Amino acid sequence: MTPPDIALLATVVGSIVLFGGAAAIALGWAFRDGQFDNFDQGSKSIFGPDEPVGEATDAFPGINVEVEEATAPW
Amino acid sequence: MPVMTAPEPVRHDRVKSAAERAAIDASCRGPVLVFASSAVFWLLMGSMLALIASFKLHIPYFLTGSPELTFGRVRMAHLQSVGIGWASLAAVAACLWLMCRLSRAELMYPKMLYLAGALWNIGVFLAVFGIIFGAGQSVEWLDAPPYAPPFFVAALGIVSAWTVAVFRRRREPHLYVTQWYILGAIFWFPWLYLVAQFTIFWAPVTGVVQPIVNWWFGHNVLGLWFTPVALGSAYYLIPKIIGRPIHSYYLSIIGFWSLALFYSWAGMHHLIGGPIPAWLATASTVGSMMMFIPVLAVAINHHMTLLGHFHRLRYSPALRFTVFGAIAYTLVSFQGSLMALKEVSKTAHFTHYIVAHAHLGAYAFVTMIFFGLFYYMIPRLTGREWVSSVLIRIHFWCAAVGITTYFAALSIGGWWQGRMMNNPDIPFARIVMYTQPHLLTRSLAGLLLTTGHIAFAISFVMNLAGWGKQRSGGPTLFVEPQATYPPGPPSL
Amino acid sequence: MDRGMVIFLGALLTFSSSWLGLVVFPFQQLGNEQPYTKEEGDVPYPQPLQGLALAGMRVYQHNGCMYCHTQQVRSVKFGDWWDANGEYRTGADIRRSYGLRRTVSRDYIYDNPTMLGTMRTGPDLANIGVRNPSEPWHHTHLFNPRSANAWSIMPSFAFFYTREKIVGNRSDKALSLAREWTVDPGYRWRPSAKEWNAILANHGDVLVAQWTAGQPASIDIKTPEGKMRLLEFWLTTPEEEYQVIPNADSEALVAYLLALRKAEFPLPEANE
Repeated sequence: MTPPDIALLATVVGSIVLFGGAAAIALGWAFRDGQFDNFDQGSKSIFGPDEPVGEATDAFPGINVEVEEATAPW
Repeated sequence: MPVMTAPEPVRHDRVKSAAERAAIDASCRGPVLVFASSAVFWLLMGSMLALIASFKLHIPYFLTGSPELTFGRVRMAHLQSVGIGWASLAAVAACLWLMCRLSRAELMYPKMLYLAGALWNIGVFLAVFGIIFGAGQSVEWLDAPPYAPPFFVAALGIVSAWTVAVFRRRREPHLYVTQWYILGAIFWFPWLYLVAQFTIFWAPVTGVVQPIVNWWFGHNVLGLWFTPVALGSAYYLIPKIIGRPIHSYYLSIIGFWSLALFYSWAGMHHLIGGPIPAWLATASTVGSMMMFIPVLAVAINHHMTLLGHFHRLRYSPALRFTVFGAIAYTLVSFQGSLMALKEVSKTAHFTHYIVAHAHLGAYAFVTMIFFGLFYYMIPRLTGREWVSSVLIRIHFWCAAVGITTYFAALSIGGWWQGRMMNNPDIPFARIVMYTQPHLLTRSLAGLLLTTGHIAFAISFVMNLAGWGKQRSGGPTLFVEPQATYPPGPPSL
Repeated sequence: MDRGMVIFLGALLTFSSSWLGLVVFPFQQLGNEQPYTKEEGDVPYPQPLQGLALAGMRVYQHNGCMYCHTQQVRSVKFGDWWDANGEYRTGADIRRSYGLRRTVSRDYIYDNPTMLGTMRTGPDLANIGVRNPSEPWHHTHLFNPRSANAWSIMPSFAFFYTREKIVGNRSDKALSLAREWTVDPGYRWRPSAKEWNAILANHGDVLVAQWTAGQPASIDIKTPEGKMRLLEFWLTTPEEEYQVIPNADSEALVAYLLALRKAEFPLPEANE
């Protein structure tokens, strides 16, 4: 291997260690900080009392979703 | 280890919550509509330029008399018009509105955003007409003449700052997955754009480093600007429209971080076999293959969220466009990963197959999701329903059939074009003639797409002009629950 | 610490990895390449473009030629095909005579912008100055590509040429094209039946004389068939009173094309 090859390899390996290490530390911190507790709770944050889970919020103009749903064959 | 308890949901009553959402939408109204309407304008302009360029490839005498409309210039102008015009302006509208809604914070100091909108439009105008009148730069995605980018940079700076400002003022403690994507996108895109401008134009680097930076930009502008905003939009719209939280929040976080890490490494395979070091193309191939992780995560998540709710595609225009886009995302990403393989790329490279792939990404995925977002967002901003179901249906079917035809025609044509180009016994003339019917089909598909865009623009302008039915009662409900008219037969 | 900072730092970290890998490393590896000289005193290769060729590069750039033409020749090992005997072969670029060798990064050190291209709607141009060094051919082809190849879908660049009345002698630079290409620049022209009849009424005798000068067979312009044959002959002759000459843009563009010789000079790193 020529010196430039070794330098390149060293940089690549060094970067992988550096970036991989930083990612591992960040992940460990996130776990200890409790960011993964009650994780799925977050997915409900887009719903509120006026647009609750279980209620559709969009339809073609002129279609009443609730009436449609009640009479549809499925 | 500190234990966190689940945050107790704040108990608003329905009216209060609806009023809060209405106030947020009202604060976005002006700036977001400025970005959205100029996006629609550049979509139409881009469609016209695309049609001219497309027809020229099978009718070489079409509009051949003037340098302004020669193929090379029109093609560059088309990309600026739909890339920096339509898709980017729509992405900005999406970032602003989604960030306000998800942070539960009003948009402050909108005047600066009007300024940003004006600057951006001046930039696109200078880019498109500068290219038409002979100042195109022949750097793919960055063809704008040197006087246009400062306008984008200034506008982008304002947009990013305002998005972050909204985020900093958030009342909602939880950071939803859409916000991750938006925060990533508004940070990545300015960085990408500045590095590319700097190293290619302001202080040009030597030789092949330019195309290397060019493709790092060209691929990441899709991967780290359009893709995160469009995915973020889908992550909001799909659960919101069907009223069901996304299937797995864990999957979404894996999807986000693996996208951030791997997508940014793709791009060099656009130079496969070219005069660049082999390790670069290999690095990008690895990055592209790793993209299977985020794509599978998103695909599983979106599909599982929708499961059991597919019938809603019949009722909701926004959902229909968004789901089409989400499916296209899975397809285009799988295809993209495979195309990064040298075995595939050696045939697909330098052909119309790449053009088909690019449109599957930029149109079938990104543009369709932005259409979906517009169908959901605009009525909530203007307070009026869409005026006509028929126009929406025309738009959807023209877009869906058009892009499918487009993709099929150029993929098949492009693949065989590549096989023939790899065989030196086949004269070039035969290859040119072989692609003709495929290019004609592409033009017809383009006509269909443009028809859809015109239907969309008519809907859009009528809505802005106040033609739609006024939305009374709850300001955020699209369909009034107390409506008494008899339902028509649901039609697709 | 709020989680916005996590997103920000993560986005920074992931993205800077690719920025380092795909922008900074290549810049360090390739940003400082020097021209090649085999022995001291040799003229180094490559040389920067100058004068007319440099101006032509701008014409090439501003008109988006790159979107249909690449400027890179790939190795003999790249790509595969099967010949007439079903034998597995590789490498089409050099066999298509796009270059004498593959192109390498050193070939592009003076290019700005570096228009490698990503599309071959038309053939590769990296070595076009060697492959087709004929200046008149490039002019007639640019003026109307169909005059050279009937199947071509390349745009006409007739707007880079001027059709003018000949004063005195025909210019040396005038394109040697037949009137079917020059009467309506950029298009292929044919007179309508009425126009042709009028021309025959005025100059019929001269045209028949021209025809018989080169042909042993006589022609009868009273018959439709004779009229048609004389028309076909007349269309392939140059216009007497008009000529087409290149403008500055097309002069420069052709100078640039002829200066494109990226895959000719042997380089030690490009021995495939």
